[in-house]
Amino acid sequence: MRPILLAGHERALTQIKYNPDGDLIFSVSKDQIICVWFSHNGERLGTYRGHQGAIWTIDVDPTSTILASGSADNTIRLWDIKTGKCLKTWDFPTAVKRVEFNEDGTKLLGVTEKRMGHLGTIVVLDVKIDVEAEQTDEKALTIVCDESKATVAGWSYLSKYIIAGHEDGSISQYDGKTGDLIYNFPIHELNQPITDLQWSQDRTYFITASKDKTAKLVSAKDLEVLKTYTADTPLNSATITPNKDFVILGGGQAAMDVTTTAARQGKFEARFYHKIFEDEIGRVRGHFGPLNTVAADPTGKGYASGGEDGYVRVHHFDKGYYDFMYEVERERQNKLAAAGNA
Amino acid sequence: MATQKKHDWADDEDLEETTTTTTTDLPPPQKINNKDGSTTIIEYRINDLGQKVKTTRRVRYIVRREVLNPRVAERKTWAKFGDSANDGPGPAMDTTTVGENIIFRPSVNWRREAKDEANDPNAQAMKDKLKDKKVKCRICNGEHFTARCPYKDTMAPIGEAGAADVAAGMGDEPSAAAAVGAAGPGKKGSYVPPALRAGAGAQGERMGGKYGERDDLATLRVTNVSEMAEEQELRDMFERFGRVTRVFLAKDRDTGLAKGFAFISYADRDDAVKACNKMDGFGFRHLILRVEFAKKAQ
Repeated sequence: MRPILLAGHERALTQIKYNPDGDLIFSVSKDQIICVWFSHNGERLGTYRGHQGAIWTIDVDPTSTILASGSADNTIRLWDIKTGKCLKTWDFPTAVKRVEFNEDGTKLLGVTEKRMGHLGTIVVLDVKIDVEAEQTDEKALTIVCDESKATVAGWSYLSKYIIAGHEDGSISQYDGKTGDLIYNFPIHELNQPITDLQWSQDRTYFITASKDKTAKLVSAKDLEVLKTYTADTPLNSATITPNKDFVILGGGQAAMDVTTTAARQGKFEARFYHKIFEDEIGRVRGHFGPLNTVAADPTGKGYASGGEDGYVRVHHFDKGYYDFMYEVERERQNKLAAAGNA
Repeated sequence: MATQKKHDWADDEDLEETTTTTTTDLPPPQKINNKDGSTTIIEYRINDLGQKVKTTRRVRYIVRREVLNPRVAERKTWAKFGDSANDGPGPAMDTTTVGENIIFRPSVNWRREAKDEANDPNAQAMKDKLKDKKVKCRICNGEHFTARCPYKDTMAPIGEAGAADVAAGMGDEPSAAAAVGAAGPGKKGSYVPPALRAGAGAQGERMGGKYGERDDLATLRVTNVSEMAEEQELRDMFERFGRVTRVFLAKDRDTGLAKGFAFISYADRDDAVKACNKMDGFGFRHLILRVEFAKKAQ
C-alpha cells in the first residue's frame, strides 16, 4: 500500500478523526489549525482557524454537519464543517483535553485539565446539529474528578454511560444522565496515564491505550477487561478496525527522548494486533516520531496515523490485509459455507 | 484533460498578444488516437523568448465507475475554504504527497520473518569476521586507536619502512598487507584504488557471485503474462511455493500496462524448481503462462 502523506500541520499532531461515512479526515495539531481532508486522495478541503492555542482534540457529529474542537486556549468551539465558520465558543477555566459527541449528536462532552487550582472536570453540553441554530451557553452536567483527573472520556451506547480514563491508570463509569460515579477500576498500572479511549462501532466496548505499554479492550457495561495487548513501548493511541478483527496501536518513546535514539529503535510504528487472539500480526513503519494518534476508517478501508513529526499518513489497505485470517477462522468460514450449501 | 484549453498557465499573461500569435502562425493542436487506446495530443505555443514550442503528450483516459454514498458525493462538490481556498481541484502539491510503497501483509509469525531478514547471511558473515579483531595502535601496538596514542607525537610508527607491519597494525589480513607492500613499498600513505586493494578481487567476486547466483539459480522468467497483470498477483501466485525475494513485472512506461513478461526470484532454488514445474502452463487471466529458468544476461 502507498500511504498518502498529509503535510498540513507544522507541529505535532494531537488527534485525527474520520467522519462516520469515512470520506473526511479531521486532523488537529499543536499549531492551532484544524484541517479537513478527503480520505480517498488526501486532498485538503479546508482549514478552520480561530483557536489561540494548541488544539488537543476534535470530534465530528454523526451527520458530518458540525465539528467540535477543544484547545489549550481554554475553549471548546463548534464549527460549520462545510464553510469553516466558527459557530460557538464555550469558555472554561482550563485547557480542554478531549471532546466527544454522543451517538445521536445531541450532547457533547468535554474533559478539562486540572490546573491553577481547578480540578479536572467532565462537562456535558447540549448541542443542536444545525448550523443556523443558537447554541446554549448552559452546561447540562459537570462531573468533578477529585481523585485523579480524567485524561480521556467518551459516551457509551445509547449515551447510557460516560466512560473516563484517568491519569492514575483507572477507568470510571458515570451515569450518562445524572453524572453519578458507578464504578472506578484500576485497569492499567498505577500512575501510568491512559492516553486514548476509542469505541467499537456499536459503542458496547472500547479500547484504552496507556503509557504502561499495554492497550486493553474493555466492556462498557461492567468495565470488564476483555483483552490485553502488550507492546514494548509506551502507547499514545489505540483504535479498533471495523470489518476485520484487528486493533491498531500507536506509540513510541516519549518525544523528549527521540533525538537521542535512532528511528529504528524509537519504535515509531503502527502495530496491528488481532483483536481476539491478542497476537501482534504486523507493523507499519513510516513516521519519524512517536505516533500520537491513530484512527481507523469507519468503512474499514484504511487507517490514518498522526505523529509527533507533524505528518498525517493515510493508508488504504490492500488485498493481503483483507485476506489475512487465522487457520481457525478460515475453518469456521468453510464450515459455515458448507452448512449454507447443504 | 485540457482539451479546450489552448493556453498553458506558463504562457504570457497578456492574453491578447498570445491569442494573436497563436491564431496567426501556429498550427492547430492535434489529437491522435493511438492503437493501444491512448491519445497523443500535440500542441504548439510561443514561449517567452519568442520560440515556437511543440508539446507532445500521451494521455490515457480511464473511466472508472464508483458507487458512492450520496452524502459523500455531495461533499465532494463542496468549495474549498480556509487555507485551501485558492487550491485548484485535486490534491495540492504542497500539502499532499504520496509516500513510498509499504508492503504490509499481516501474518501470525511476522516477527520471525522480520528477524530472518535482519540476520541475512552477509551481515552475519561480516560480524563473524570482525569478532576476533582488536583495535591495535600502529605506534606502540597498544589496544587503542593510533590517533589516541600517548606516544603519537614522540614516536614514529613501528615498521615505518616495512609496509607489512603497518598493514598488520591496521588490522588487515596479512595477505592484504603483502599486496599493498608489493604495489608500492615505501609509499605507505598513498591511495590504492579499490580495484587494486588486496581482498578487492574476492570482494568483487562475491558481489558478482551474489547477483549471478540470484539470476542463475533461483530466478524464473515468466512469459505470456496478461497485460492486465499486477505484481501483487504474481507475488501471490508464486509465493505458494516458497519465499519470493523479488518480483519484477515489466511495464510499459507510457501506458502502465504489463509488457507480458516477468521475473520471479526465490530465496531457495528448490522452491524455484517446484514453482517452475507447477506454474508452467498455468492459466492466468485468459493466457497460459510459460515459466522457465532465467538465463544470464550476457
